[in-house]
Amino acid sequence: MGTPTLSDLRIHDTPGTLPTLSVEGLGIEFSRRRVWTSVVHDVSMKVMPGEIVGVIGESGSGKTLSALAALRLLPRQARVATGQVRLGDIDILAQSERQMRTLRGNRMALIPQDAMQALNPTMRVGLQVAEPLSLHSGKALKAVAGAAAGLLEAVGIARPAEQARAFPHQFSGGMQQRAMVAMGLALAPSLLIADEPTTALDVTVQAQVLDLLRNIRTTRGTSILFITHDLGVVAELCDWVYVMRHGRIVEQGSVARIFRDPHEEYTEMLLAATPSIHAPRRKGALA
Amino acid sequence: MSEGFDFYRWRLVILGGGIISVILICAILAPWIAPFSPYDLDYMAMLKGPGATHWLGTDEIGRDILSRIIYGARISMQVAFIAAGIGLVFGAVIGVTAAYFGGIVDMILMRFMELLFSFPAILLAVVLMASLGTSVLNAMIAIGIVFIPGFSRLARAATEVVLREQYVESARAIGMSHTRILLREIMPNIVAPLLVEAAVAFSYAILLESALSFLGLGAQPPEPTWGNMLNTGRGFMAQSAIMSIAPGMAIFLTVIGFNLVGDGLRDALDPHMKD
Repeated sequence: MGTPTLSDLRIHDTPGTLPTLSVEGLGIEFSRRRVWTSVVHDVSMKVMPGEIVGVIGESGSGKTLSALAALRLLPRQARVATGQVRLGDIDILAQSERQMRTLRGNRMALIPQDAMQALNPTMRVGLQVAEPLSLHSGKALKAVAGAAAGLLEAVGIARPAEQARAFPHQFSGGMQQRAMVAMGLALAPSLLIADEPTTALDVTVQAQVLDLLRNIRTTRGTSILFITHDLGVVAELCDWVYVMRHGRIVEQGSVARIFRDPHEEYTEMLLAATPSIHAPRRKGALA
Repeated sequence: MSEGFDFYRWRLVILGGGIISVILICAILAPWIAPFSPYDLDYMAMLKGPGATHWLGTDEIGRDILSRIIYGARISMQVAFIAAGIGLVFGAVIGVTAAYFGGIVDMILMRFMELLFSFPAILLAVVLMASLGTSVLNAMIAIGIVFIPGFSRLARAATEVVLREQYVESARAIGMSHTRILLREIMPNIVAPLLVEAAVAFSYAILLESALSFLGLGAQPPEPTWGNMLNTGRGFMAQSAIMSIAPGMAIFLTVIGFNLVGDGLRDALDPHMKD
């Protein structure tokens, strides 16, 4: 695929295009007994319109925190210490809590890791999926419940009208994750933040959910920020990758370049740590 | 997923519910069911044992004990429902608020609850009755206040658990407001333990009300309550034991009924027992 420099071209990043999400110099601190400790340092990343960006790193590398900061959903004991987050031309950190509520689910949506955990066990799936419509239109949930079947159908759930009346525990893992995607897409947000959405799924279902996300990007032009520790998924889905470690971005680049020619030792180690049925491991493998 | 009603799983609730239903029906239909008025004196038949006319005999001034028990159920049931209701509603609101907002709110509310909790229940009820004045309504309020700390702690603990659930976070992520999260995401998921606690509170309320009546702080004579019947019966143990046994059995059966419902609900609603 050409020289390393060429393949590192960010095709979605054309001059004059406003990024869907841009994070600059983001620093996040955690408090423990009133002492603030910095856990995410100077993170800058952007997601262009229609682009799927992967954030990869091991547990505790700060990838989820950075994404939650974009939604302003950091845990109680954490705060943004430095930096800027912009959604289109909106300065996220300057919004009031009330304004944030109108953005969440509407302009940006979160697809969580474990869909079973993310669905309220006491509510029918259809009502939950249609909930964003109700929240952001001020209409009663009953009035928008009819839209649920359409939303479920769009994510490939068979017999959607019937399934809308089911409770979450009656869904399979893949269906639950699809329902979460449907909920995220209800208001056609410009940005989907997917936090390891396929980790809890088996490989075949995982492939279906990835297909679904790819389709959404193609048909609706939705930008997706995809957080994962699975390099295979990144290789298959993403256009651009940020590699995080210890709360910093250690490397970024196009998927093709990162996989072919990692510049950082850590990225190389990550790649080497991925099991493969092909060729023996190259240099730098964790022996 | 088995369709249809799982009788075995709900057996305790059905048994306890059956006992309570009988008592409830007696309470509601008292004027039609009771063979005599609870206030009418029959001087020809005082301190009678059980017999054909007076099934459970008569008390020291010739009032029909069965009728007084049936009418007494009205007060006991009212007190139980209203007192447990007060405890449940206020306790749930305080507990959920404390857990949801945390920090200083949590601190102030829960310290106050612990203050209430530190008094023995009966003492607290007596003190409250002394300051509120003796009446059935005040007895309900006093007993209700006694229950608030227990319910609030339970509600707080249950909310803490639910708050850590992902669906609360995803509710925030779709832009849900605090009120809506509390009502839609948290409340439905904490009712099970609160209901179980309420069933236990019912039986405890009956005992407390009886204790207050026994001490002369609840309903005033000649109003029949199980507690004051027991109190009067105490003085006539040698002459007519039924005067104490009958209200004692009524209290016993009601408490058993509510406890069965409580235990049964706890088991039946336990997700680990499903399927």
